[in-house]
Amino acid sequence: MNPLKTTWHHIRRSPFQSLIAAIVMVLSFFFISLFAIINSGLSSVLSYFETKPEITLFLKDGLDKTTVENIQKDLSSYQSIKEITFVSKEKALSIYKEQNKDNPLLTEMVTASILPASFEITVTNPQILEEIYQNYSTKTTVIDEIIYQKDIIQSLLDWTSATRKIGIAIILIISLISFLTIVTIIGMKITNRKDEIKISRLIGASNFYVKKPFLLEGIIYGIVGSTLGFLFSFLIALISQKSINSFFQPVVFIDLNINFYLILLVAEIFIGTFLGFFASWIGVKRYIKY
Amino acid sequence: MKIVFDQVDKKFGIVNALKDISFEIDQGEFVFITGNSGAGKSTLLKLILNQLKPSSGKILLGDVDLSLGNKDDINNTRRKIGVVFQDYQLISDKTIEENIALILDIVNYPKEKIQSRIDQVIKEVNLGTRRFLFPSQLAGGELQRAALARALAIEPEVILADEPTGNLDPENSWNLVKLLKEINQKNNTTIIMTTHNNDIVESMGKRVIKLKEGELV
Repeated sequence: MNPLKTTWHHIRRSPFQSLIAAIVMVLSFFFISLFAIINSGLSSVLSYFETKPEITLFLKDGLDKTTVENIQKDLSSYQSIKEITFVSKEKALSIYKEQNKDNPLLTEMVTASILPASFEITVTNPQILEEIYQNYSTKTTVIDEIIYQKDIIQSLLDWTSATRKIGIAIILIISLISFLTIVTIIGMKITNRKDEIKISRLIGASNFYVKKPFLLEGIIYGIVGSTLGFLFSFLIALISQKSINSFFQPVVFIDLNINFYLILLVAEIFIGTFLGFFASWIGVKRYIKY
Repeated sequence: MKIVFDQVDKKFGIVNALKDISFEIDQGEFVFITGNSGAGKSTLLKLILNQLKPSSGKILLGDVDLSLGNKDDINNTRRKIGVVFQDYQLISDKTIEENIALILDIVNYPKEKIQSRIDQVIKEVNLGTRRFLFPSQLAGGELQRAALARALAIEPEVILADEPTGNLDPENSWNLVKLLKEINQKNNTTIIMTTHNNDIVESMGKRVIKLKEGELV
């Protein structure tokens, strides 16, 4: 008798228990997938800010060419400077237009004259940033505003780290719940089929023959749970992609990269199979004594 | 498969269910085990099936010493024994055909031959269309035949029948015993049958192992 057929028979004979096991698994993998997608989005946000200039000095309007060149010369004199980029008013306008190309209302009224020119500075040694910030924050005659990315990145890092910790904790708790649910449900199914197991043994069934359908059942819950959980979260990502990405603009928070989702699916099926097998193995070990 | 009991004792707490039992049964013998209720007949069958372990003594089934408790040996030996339990022990949520298919699968019967083997034994015990019914849908005599069909399916070397006529009317009892006799003669299958029915025992003229309060008489 095909063990898969026997397993299917077990599933059909106690459909509600099977349904609970499958739902718990689906929920677990739904949250795991969701966490992976959010985590990937947070990483995109972080890397966006990390690739941005580490400090930006916005210049006062009406500065002459010599003053601007002197500022650039002064900035170049700092050690550990990686790159200094001068962004003129015209360049700032073109960047602004590019960033808001989907929203003509925001670009219609804006001209180069209302946007400040700036210096974008990246460094090899972050300690120098503080020094630049301290020196230029006092030069209020030439500097209009300073944006120091350190604060943003630090606060983003804190948020990302907290989100990851909470996410991992939730996933661990949910995985533990689904693990214990499968152990209990397999145990209940074994108890329900006690007579069948006893008869099978008396007519010569080996230990593995008796256990195999229950182990397969756990694996099926794992595979079905991980696949459906993934599909639900993918669906949510697909539906909400536009609105979420527009909120995080210009960062692409939900990137429908096929490789990412394929790897996620394969990894989840693998974890689901292992989780289902391990839980049913514990259940079988606990409830079938030989 | 020769069956040897060598000074076998079986105790349940302070109760001595079997005391110093020694006998040999050769391949192809038809043996009745008789005795009153509580004499130890079912215990003896359970020891052969290794459902129980002896408290002392040795039980040999062919070359296998069951008292050593090797799981593979026990499973392999069980696969050579067809059992007709007094309470049938058919799996309730499987049809008769599925019950028979299960045992064939357990003994690794060639997959392509399973269906034809089922057809054969169903015909042999005359269950006809009942094969697609569940045990709860069959009458006592039919259940006993279904249990026998399952035992026969694996072409066993030994058939253990524990009071197979206990729940049957006289006509069905005789039919079952005749069938067992036929199988014994045709296939040289060892038959070990426990019974209370002295008429059957006397009219068959076969070897009898009589137990009284756990001892051979």
